[in-house]
Amino acid sequence: MRVVIAEDLALLRDGLTRLLRDNGFEVVAAVGDGDALVTSVLLERPDVAIVDIRLPPTFRDEGVRAALTLRDRSPDTGVLIVSQYIEQAYASELLADGRGGLGYLLKDRIMDVDDFVAAVRRVGEGGTALDPEVVAQLLSKRKPLDVLSARELEVLGLMAEGRSNAAIAGRLVLTVGAVEKHVASILAKLRLPPSSEDHRRVLAVLAYLREA
Amino acid sequence: MRAARTLLFLLASVPLAALALAVLLTGWIVTSVLAITPLGVPALVGFRAGVGGVAWLDAELANRLLGTSASPTLRSPGPSGFWNSGLNVLRDPAFWRQQAYLLASLPLGFGGAVAAWSLLAASLGSLTLPVWYRWNAPELGSWDVDTLGRALLGVPVGILGLVILFGLLRLLDAMTRRVVTGALDGREGVAGPSRSERRRSLAVHAVATVAINLFLIVIWAVTSRGYFWPEWTLIALGLPLAIHAWVVLVEEHPEIARRQRISSGLATREGIALSFSIFFVLVWAVTGGGYFWPLWPILLFAVGFAIRIVSEYSRRGERISELETTRAGAVEQQESELERIERDLHDGAQARLVALGMSLGMAEQKLATDPVAAQELLAEARQGTREALEELRSLARGIHPPVLTDRGLAAAIEALATRTPVEVDVSVKLPQRPPRAVETAAYFVAAEGLANAGKHANAGHVDIGVRADGGNLVVEVVDDGSGGADPAGNGLRGLAQRVEALDGTLAVDSPVGGPTTIRAVMPCEW
Repeated sequence: MRVVIAEDLALLRDGLTRLLRDNGFEVVAAVGDGDALVTSVLLERPDVAIVDIRLPPTFRDEGVRAALTLRDRSPDTGVLIVSQYIEQAYASELLADGRGGLGYLLKDRIMDVDDFVAAVRRVGEGGTALDPEVVAQLLSKRKPLDVLSARELEVLGLMAEGRSNAAIAGRLVLTVGAVEKHVASILAKLRLPPSSEDHRRVLAVLAYLREA
Repeated sequence: MRAARTLLFLLASVPLAALALAVLLTGWIVTSVLAITPLGVPALVGFRAGVGGVAWLDAELANRLLGTSASPTLRSPGPSGFWNSGLNVLRDPAFWRQQAYLLASLPLGFGGAVAAWSLLAASLGSLTLPVWYRWNAPELGSWDVDTLGRALLGVPVGILGLVILFGLLRLLDAMTRRVVTGALDGREGVAGPSRSERRRSLAVHAVATVAINLFLIVIWAVTSRGYFWPEWTLIALGLPLAIHAWVVLVEEHPEIARRQRISSGLATREGIALSFSIFFVLVWAVTGGGYFWPLWPILLFAVGFAIRIVSEYSRRGERISELETTRAGAVEQQESELERIERDLHDGAQARLVALGMSLGMAEQKLATDPVAAQELLAEARQGTREALEELRSLARGIHPPVLTDRGLAAAIEALATRTPVEVDVSVKLPQRPPRAVETAAYFVAAEGLANAGKHANAGHVDIGVRADGGNLVVEVVDDGSGGADPAGNGLRGLAQRVEALDGTLAVDSPVGGPTTIRAVMPCEW
């Protein structure tokens, strides 16, 4: 899988490059600002771009803006935002077009290397990877979730993060069959169309959670 | 039909324009005579309403006949108070625009009406020439229209005249509609007039003044040519133009007042007094000199100026001591804030990093001998890193939340609300983003209010409102908790110092049993 990295701190940029190379990714470019990111993505057409939010020159929300540009101009490239902080405002802007191939994670999550690598791969394949903090804020905003049982809420949360049934089963120590049953029940209770494809289902759930 | 309406409008606007000129002249003369007494202020406010009223009549006529939808204002917005109500009028671009419109409508409306109605009469006469030439054969130079053949030539001329008339009416219609909408519609945004709007109203006013004076001078020139009576309108209309220009100048260039070491309010007033003085001297001059009576109003102005200077200096003394207090408060608040950050770093992230280093060191030792224990230590180290990051993040947010800079108050307060377990209603209604310092202070008022509601008051619901109120930004946090918040407590005192450093006030109303209202009002230039 081909990756472009945009991160202004050399220490983190090099660390991330090494980590991804060790895990079998091909890092085709590692740049330090938003403009360079857009240029190299349009040139290299990677599967996924990993983007920090705060980039030169203003160190504000360049990463988010560059990501939105990429969504528009290189729709096949997945965008994974990594940042020191999670802001719901950014999450809403990024999710607004309702398409997959998108992630927003705290940089802390990079420490769980296996999980992080799986997230990069998922975004590159058109899936989603949302930080548990984003999901928690989405869940807290959306009130009528009382119809779900505690277990179903747990499953819904993991689903919203973008995880597959198998991953959810692994996380909750359940069988895949049991997870599938919970998922079917959640979709039925929230009146969402059943779908066998993980990515599409996740997008439906996110759309549901965002319409507050 | 449309053309008939335009013709009617033109006809009706002539007496209206004459009325407008009468109102403007008497208004300014009465106001200027009263200006040497405090009665000048109510006179000016009344005059403003009079101008608005005539403008309203004009707009109403245009709305009915031409289909515009202008609604001129009758009052000038701005801070309340006796002197302010006068200054508000002078600072109001709508007032000046209305005057400019009324001034300009006399020559323009008059010219348009004369042109259109004479063209109509001439065209109709020409068109019906074959009918009436028998009784009253007109002569065109040496050419008598006394046969039917010749009279029939009048028909195409009449038709041509009507075509031109329709074109002219269309043009006048479009022009009037634009001018009425542009000059008389008074709907200004909450933000008040902008720089360019102020300048535009001054330019329009100047052009209108010049136009009407030229018009009257032309009338004087083609009629009697005796006594130069337009000098009266020159003086009477020059006075408001001078005042208007001065008000705009002081507003746009505050450095003029600063260089004289006086406030801009005082500079405005003194400029107006000077304009009136010149006005009186000119009146004295055109009435043939004699006893120099303008001495008395000028003397009165000078005394008023002296009194105001003295009071301004004494007020300035009070202001200096107030600034000294708030500056000391701001410095103290900054100090204690830095101290808190240092303590948080020392006890939190730094300590965690030390522990992390120890875990890693031990893991390195055990790697060869006891890989299982090493693995455990590494997992511990990773957990420690995560906690350190968590702490640093909340510390950074407490210093300055990034989303505030990027997305403004509404997004930042919403983000605060989602992180609080309490139910929060947020309403941010601002015409535009306030200056950074005010924005940050407003954010921390909301943050501190929320923290209080959650921590001490056991509140279940909090309302946070941010709005613009005149030249102020108001933040209000109301919770339904148990009350009893101590304004002298650490958090609220620091907050008060922060707000006071921006010339604002923080009021905490928290009776035991609740509810608690925290309200910050900060001056804010929009």
